[in-house]
Amino acid sequence: MNSENGVAGGTPGGDPDERPSENPQGSPVNEPSLRLHPAAMLIGALKTVRRWVGALVIPGGAFLASQGFQVRTMLLVLAGLLVVAALAAVWGVLAWRATTYGVSGGAFHLRQGVVQKNERTIPLDHVQSVDTVQGVIQRLFGVVEVRVETAGGGANEPDASLSALSRDAAGALRRQIEVSRRESSSAEEEEEASVPAVVRRLATRDLLIAGATSGQIGVALSLVAVVSQVFDELFSQESVERVVTSFAPSSVTAVLLVVAAAGLFAWLLAIGGTVLAHAGFTLSRDGDYLHIRRGLLERREATIPISRVQAVRVVEGVLRQPFGLAALRVESAGYGENAGVSTILFPLLPRREVDDFLRAAAPEFAGEPALEPLPSRALRRYVFRAVLGALPLVVVVGAISTFGFYAGLPIPGCGPGGCEFGTVPLFAFEVPFGVLLSPLLLAPAALYGWLQFQDAGWTLSGDRLFARSRVLALTTTVAPRRRLQSRSVISSPFQRRLRLATLQARVASGGGGAEVRVVDLGSNAAGTLVERLGPGGSS
Amino acid sequence: MKDEPSERLDPRARTLWRIVGALNALPLLAGGVAGSWALIRLAETPFLLGMLPVVLAVALLVLLVVVGPALRWRRWRYEIREDEVDLQRGIVWVARTLVPLARIQHVDTRSGPLQRRFGLATVVFYTAAGANQIPELSAPVAAGVRDRIAELTRFQDEL
Repeated sequence: MNSENGVAGGTPGGDPDERPSENPQGSPVNEPSLRLHPAAMLIGALKTVRRWVGALVIPGGAFLASQGFQVRTMLLVLAGLLVVAALAAVWGVLAWRATTYGVSGGAFHLRQGVVQKNERTIPLDHVQSVDTVQGVIQRLFGVVEVRVETAGGGANEPDASLSALSRDAAGALRRQIEVSRRESSSAEEEEEASVPAVVRRLATRDLLIAGATSGQIGVALSLVAVVSQVFDELFSQESVERVVTSFAPSSVTAVLLVVAAAGLFAWLLAIGGTVLAHAGFTLSRDGDYLHIRRGLLERREATIPISRVQAVRVVEGVLRQPFGLAALRVESAGYGENAGVSTILFPLLPRREVDDFLRAAAPEFAGEPALEPLPSRALRRYVFRAVLGALPLVVVVGAISTFGFYAGLPIPGCGPGGCEFGTVPLFAFEVPFGVLLSPLLLAPAALYGWLQFQDAGWTLSGDRLFARSRVLALTTTVAPRRRLQSRSVISSPFQRRLRLATLQARVASGGGGAEVRVVDLGSNAAGTLVERLGPGGSS
Repeated sequence: MKDEPSERLDPRARTLWRIVGALNALPLLAGGVAGSWALIRLAETPFLLGMLPVVLAVALLVLLVVVGPALRWRRWRYEIREDEVDLQRGIVWVARTLVPLARIQHVDTRSGPLQRRFGLATVVFYTAAGANQIPELSAPVAAGVRDRIAELTRFQDEL
């Protein structure tokens, strides 16, 4: 803590005497003078209302329901809402009046707070990025929210957020911060600063493809499951049953129908989510900075200094690989929303165009050298691990079909009354289908292990570590040697017997770190690689 | 890869780990005794079978108190080289970790109440991707290691 403060005090940007005041009004150096756009009043008020309504909606709803939706109680609730809205409006105006910001003396100042005054000062050297976000309300007024983030910033909250600035004011603030930052680092960079050049824009067709092939269908599916739980609570069992039976007479068909519908719904939800988040995704480069713009309703703009990018991952999802498509992610220090969360650099592009794309966006990470394969003795470990991972699934499938069968659920098998479709009369026993079939799941698992082995590879090329591995999606990670924070060689007794080891390198990412792993490379190769990746090593 | 790191942890580390292991194993032992008592008295299982939980708990205790600390101490080695910190640790999974001094942001020593009784301390050093530590060095050695890392870090060229 102390050392950090010492560094901050010693930087040239932190000393107000060394630079002329950038405050045009000539007011005292540390007095922030600029106000937010008046739309901030409304936005602040709406935020307050949303918070209160969010807290009150469940008790309020319960109250309404218990009173049987009488007109008088409805009016009472409405009046309550109006009072909340009025108070929020007053609060919004007061908050707007209390908020001022400005750049002066080599630092960004933000003063806010109605009751408790709060003044925040961020030295410009510490500013990591100036992002703009445009929510639905902000778009109505043609204003943007500006977020100033620092390298050591908290995980979720931006370090300073200005809820409404006009485009011009936001641009002026960004220029002010970036120009002074460049001045303090070096004069050369300032000349390079130019109009951002668009590197790539996501076409609408690609956007839809990205949604349709995103792996988020799982997330969406769980969401559907949660919603259906709530749905279950709200509606009585009988009415649901009546609806279902009217559509599908047999219970098996009903189950299949529901599963198919839920799957389709989840898929559409996944597409919708991608469209919302990534519509109009544009990556542009401005000298040493990458700018990302995206979003349908809420427009987000983010800035990543290229010098902060620690590693690039090329992710080829299972649904995308057959079409030769990939997504790009970056691990960036002190930037991701959470520790270890990587940021999407570009959501979808053809795999063969990745190299050109990286050459334009972040040349340090471009290149596609041939990878060293793993030694063939590693194959059995990959297959073994995959099979072991599938074993619980086999047990579960077997158990479900057994119990379900004997409990009289509509699972294919032989019952006391005779055999249906899919029966397997084994000796004198009546055996459900699933028990005999479940071990067959091990075959695809073994195949998956073999595929993982085939796909894994590594190399050291141009002072960069390339590592490829498959966890469903095929991921190729590029990390420059000088970005590696630590390297480990880890070996279990089984690996040592086969002269294998796992190489694990860590890079900074978000608040914490991210890992680059190569599992089961030869132990000698691992030893050499870990040395060559060190400060004394060379390419 | 270069030879094993040269330095070992303080020998008193084993005693400390044994005490910590014993403290951790106590609830385990209590659970084992309770399980056996319940099996023999309440469920009326045969005596030998009923003793199984106690036996398992005692075996785990021996592992935690006798075998574990000895193996762990034997494996743990470290070395502060001129450009990197070299660590080796792990009983079953042996991990060898190299941390370039140029990546180290700051160094701490810390010692808990039990560690202080033994005159031991832990050196923790932080990189942008998380912390690493060298546990259970005698306090003066730990202070020396901390200062050495801090000193060497200052002279590292940014790669």
